[in-house]
Amino acid sequence: MYFQKKRIVAMLLAGGQGSRLKVLTENTAKPAVPFGGKYRIIDFPLSNCVNSHIDTVGVLTQYQPLELNEYIGNGQPWDLNSSHGGVSVLPPYARSKKSDWYKGTANAIYQNIPFIARYNPDYVLILSGDHIYEMDYAKMLRYHEKMEADCTIAVRPVPMEEASRFGIMNTNEDNSVYEFEEKPKHPKSNKASMGIYIFNWSVLRKFLEEDEEDPKSENDFGKNIIPNLLGAGHKLYAYEFEGYWKDVGTINSLWEANMDLLGDHPNFNIYGSNGHKIYARNNAMPSGYIAKGAEIADSFVAEGCEVYGTIRHSVISTGCTIGKGAEIRDSVIMPNVVVENGARICHAIVAEDCVVKAGSRIGEDQEGTLEELKISVIGKGKTIAEGAVVAPGEII
Amino acid sequence: METMGIIFSNIYDSYMGALTEIRTSASIPVGGRYRQIDFILSNMANSGIRHIGIITKYNYQSLMDHLGSCQEWDLQLSTNGVVFLPPFATGHTGIYRGKLEAMQTALPVLESGNQDYVILADSNVMCAIDFREVIERHVESGCDVTVVAKAGLTDGKTTQHFALRIDGNNRAVGMGVDYNAPVGDLVGMGMFVMSRKKLIETIQETVPHGKYHLERDFIMEEFNAKRLSVNVYPFQNVALFNQSVESYFKNNMAMLQPEVRRSLFRSEVPIYTKVRDEVPSHYGPDAQISNCMVADGCRLDGSAENSVIFREVTLEEGCQVQDSIVMQGSVIEKGASIQYTILDKNVTVKSGTKLLGSPDHPLVIRKGVTV
Repeated sequence: MYFQKKRIVAMLLAGGQGSRLKVLTENTAKPAVPFGGKYRIIDFPLSNCVNSHIDTVGVLTQYQPLELNEYIGNGQPWDLNSSHGGVSVLPPYARSKKSDWYKGTANAIYQNIPFIARYNPDYVLILSGDHIYEMDYAKMLRYHEKMEADCTIAVRPVPMEEASRFGIMNTNEDNSVYEFEEKPKHPKSNKASMGIYIFNWSVLRKFLEEDEEDPKSENDFGKNIIPNLLGAGHKLYAYEFEGYWKDVGTINSLWEANMDLLGDHPNFNIYGSNGHKIYARNNAMPSGYIAKGAEIADSFVAEGCEVYGTIRHSVISTGCTIGKGAEIRDSVIMPNVVVENGARICHAIVAEDCVVKAGSRIGEDQEGTLEELKISVIGKGKTIAEGAVVAPGEII
Repeated sequence: METMGIIFSNIYDSYMGALTEIRTSASIPVGGRYRQIDFILSNMANSGIRHIGIITKYNYQSLMDHLGSCQEWDLQLSTNGVVFLPPFATGHTGIYRGKLEAMQTALPVLESGNQDYVILADSNVMCAIDFREVIERHVESGCDVTVVAKAGLTDGKTTQHFALRIDGNNRAVGMGVDYNAPVGDLVGMGMFVMSRKKLIETIQETVPHGKYHLERDFIMEEFNAKRLSVNVYPFQNVALFNQSVESYFKNNMAMLQPEVRRSLFRSEVPIYTKVRDEVPSHYGPDAQISNCMVADGCRLDGSAENSVIFREVTLEEGCQVQDSIVMQGSVIEKGASIQYTILDKNVTVKSGTKLLGSPDHPLVIRKGVTV
């Protein structure tokens, strides 16, 4: 079979368990978690690829892949259903020798060297499946080419006092990287790695193969591949990204990222300033219905919803019913949830297909910093009994 | 049972006023996010019909744009799927005058098919119907033709395009075209079942003799001559007929009723439409929305009551929308107000403008106009 040569192939790491999202990832991979009313987390990197004219994407799955596989399907919603390239789901597989689960981020790519090699690309873009952001990878690639780099790492500025929580790139004046420090005690820079890398394919392949031979390696990009490239004297550059970016790996960050969509001047303007759209697999739902007596303020409400109650500063996803006298504040309601009459939900995430029975209460109105907030979480398909009370921060 | 579908996209164009100036009646926007044809096409797709011809006449660009490759209906198939059938015009055939004549253009498709039955359908009725059951009833009846019809719509005063009277076995015992049918008669829903072979013969035998009107020149004429047995399938659920601007307006408003929505939109038989990837609608701090259908991609900062709001509509602060249909991309500026008005796509209502129609004669503002 003939494979068209590609300038760049994207590899999307979507195999993580996402255990810090607790019940939300109990039966589904983190990239398949719903976000923003009608999206799933993976829609963001996939749409970014398409909007950056990248037409060949490998999605590396491992943990609970069923829902994610089904969601990606043939890639049609993202225009990735192409006969040359498109999207390929790449689970670990048994081979004649040395079959294994993906041991680390670098090992996952290593195991898929044959997939990348078919397209004989000049560059490989490594992405994570758990970040919410809009980014033009083509700009980053132009920068990579201009600097004649072997590897370019996207970074974003973080407050210096928080820098010790991130992987930090220490750079020279021309943004070339001389050192990478994972969670440094005494950070020298505030350029935090976003886990987005562009490699020259020939260099990446060599280092992946060498890394695999090293029994002491953790097979991780941040811990092994990047330091090894630096040690060997390769040219690494930091590409500064100024736009919105959020790792939604925790309950509080997932909640906050949803809230960031709201307001007159939202932190994350999902309407897109550059005419780019975020694409998602669509359910055939009718228009939303907002009844007489409903009150909705400062919120997103998706299609397929029926609203009779009150919604403030919340994100309500497709196909939800919000009953009479029900009140939802500062919350994320995922698809197809039924909130019955008089139920109250505050500072909470309610996952898909839940039923919140009449008169029950989930969470409480709270003040405080993001770290202090106690977000209640209801896992997929759960029923909250009539009149039941779910405490702030409780996870069901 | 293998079945083919034929959809007529613009038989009712001339009744729809300004709404069909730039499009076929099949592509008139309805219900916040749909086009009329979405209903019949989804019904056919949900009934397992995988070979569908859409007969067009003119102005069908918007229809082709809307349907694209029909992947939303799962009809993007390597074998069959959806075929567009523009008028087949030669020296002696021109633009068609009726459904019978129009089907001449479908002859090659009908002849190439291997299906036993054909469903013929207009595109202006909104309902959720299972054609598998219709076909079963047709086969059981042993009749030549089955007409899908709705009871309870006649009053002896309103003219019906096609009315039928039935006996206890749902056999037609009488029928009339453009007829003020009395209470008790059924009204044809523009959906018919015939065997493919019989349909081909019918087209070949009638059209060369100048016959063009399916109901009048074939079904009624042959029935009256006792050469055609006609079975009626009485449809029990909600069916909304868009036969005029007024009925179109009322039918959109009817979708605000929960029982109408529950009958039309059922999760096991979804109504599909073109996916446009808008973000969910955003409700601002002062939005006041009451008894409205709202599609995705809207920015709502004003107030709206008893209205259907399509995709990507902007309601600015302090604007007032009442009893109106606001199509995709329209903007109602600060302080503007509209009532009993249909805004076609991409209309801008400037600050301070007041538009007022009446329930029986809604004001229609043409596509792209600024008022």
